[in-house]
Amino acid sequence: MSTLSLNHVGKQYSVKGEQLDVLDDINLHIQPGEFVAIVGSSGCGKSTLLRLVIGLDDDYRGEIRIDGQKISGTSLDRGIVFQEHRLFPWLTVEQNVGLALENSPLSQAERRQTIADHLDLVGLKGFETAYPYQLSGGMSQRVAIARGLVNRPGVLLLDEPFGALDALTRANLQAELRRIWQQEGITMILVTHDVEEAAFLADRVIVLQPRPGRIKRIVPVTLPHPRNRADPAFVAIKDDVLSEFGHEPKPQLLEPVARPFGDYVFAW
Amino acid sequence: MSLTETLPVPALAAPAAAARTAQLLAGLRSRIWRGALALILPLAVLALWHAATLNGWVAQQILPAPTLVWSTLFDLWDSGELWTNLSISLTRVAWGFSAALVFGLALGVAMGLSKTAEAYLYPSFKAISEVPVLGWIPLLIMLVGIGEAMKILVIAKAAAVPITINTQQGIRNIPQAYLEVARVYRFNPRQLWLKVIFPSTLPSLFNGFRYGLTNAWLSLVTVELLASSEGIGYQMVWGRQLFQLDVVMACMVVIGVVGLAIDLVLQVIETRLLRWRRAAF
Repeated sequence: MSTLSLNHVGKQYSVKGEQLDVLDDINLHIQPGEFVAIVGSSGCGKSTLLRLVIGLDDDYRGEIRIDGQKISGTSLDRGIVFQEHRLFPWLTVEQNVGLALENSPLSQAERRQTIADHLDLVGLKGFETAYPYQLSGGMSQRVAIARGLVNRPGVLLLDEPFGALDALTRANLQAELRRIWQQEGITMILVTHDVEEAAFLADRVIVLQPRPGRIKRIVPVTLPHPRNRADPAFVAIKDDVLSEFGHEPKPQLLEPVARPFGDYVFAW
Repeated sequence: MSLTETLPVPALAAPAAAARTAQLLAGLRSRIWRGALALILPLAVLALWHAATLNGWVAQQILPAPTLVWSTLFDLWDSGELWTNLSISLTRVAWGFSAALVFGLALGVAMGLSKTAEAYLYPSFKAISEVPVLGWIPLLIMLVGIGEAMKILVIAKAAAVPITINTQQGIRNIPQAYLEVARVYRFNPRQLWLKVIFPSTLPSLFNGFRYGLTNAWLSLVTVELLASSEGIGYQMVWGRQLFQLDVVMACMVVIGVVGLAIDLVLQVIETRLLRWRRAAF
């Protein structure tokens, strides 16, 4: 468990020589074991914020600290679940989870044990040797969550993990995620555009405002778990957050910069 | 007591096993059916050929009877001539293809990984590959003579082109998403190659190998027809010079069958290795 703090974090893309602010002056302090949800309309930079925290993008202003240490690059102490499951189709479920342990100090026996434990945790016992093409979208995302957790990271980042799932599966996985979070006590940051999902899971809902992405409001959710979606207090919080989405500025095109393969992997 | 305990298990297992056998049988039946479909066209051609020779539509000297070609095939095999020539040809393909593999993989990986390497090499590579094998033969004869080196070079060139292109494309098309996963889990270069780059490029590599090997086999026959004193292509030329068209046609059959066999073997290896790709089809 770790304390995560973002101080004056900003991010610019340059599109055709023009500087475009994606994130501006983000200040956020997240307590160990806290569940924070970041909501905002598409293009508000919420996914970009996660990319900075996970360490896939080092080009930003300000600083991101974990337990006082400035982050640099990726780390096994920060896990992530992407919107698409990103499982490798040529590996089985347990091998996919095992990818996260490639550089872990655990012994082979310990690895096997922890992979089995985490597949059990996400309810996929018995599917160890299945291939991704045999899994439904919801099952794939469960594997991705197991892969994100298997290193026992201090912080788990979730980038719209249930965005592509049908409503029923999504509700199931939200309940599962809540159980896992309460059971494991890991700090979680969930990026979503689903306000109900945010209110259902989070201790605090951060509302981002687009162009440039700034924190518009932070809404604390103090209702006890498990939350009832029909509870008037829950609905009130949901409506309160939704009201922040009211007046959007005129949309403009946002063009992300594609990075060539060479930049990602090797220097040559 | 033991009866009541053991009974349910076979009772449940039996229908499942029966269903599996039925499924296997159905699969086998559809395979046989498809195999039979593939034979219709060749059999029709054979029948037409037979009718043509039987009725004397074409002179016997120009179009020998299928039965004659068939017996010639066995004569050539029994005399050892066919096997000698075939093994010489296969050796040439093996050498040429191996050289193409080394060269094509190296070039494809370099151009796939580095835009700079691509900028340097791709235009020249493309220009060279646009000149067909036949166009290279006269120059190569002048440069390296008419011996084995020339044949292996020609075969290697023919095979290297698809291997290079498919390797390059395979590396280029590795999803960015997978590379990010590798970065999140802090893969070192060795892990990156073994766990991400190699497996995700493998389908494309196999495409290259298959096209490369087919190309190698085709150009082998070409080069042997033009400049050779042994090999299956030479045997064809020799048959034509003696106006023994049964020998020519027997050689054609052998070339076709060997080419088909090579492709089938690669196909089997491919489906074995890339079982996870079934979802895509």
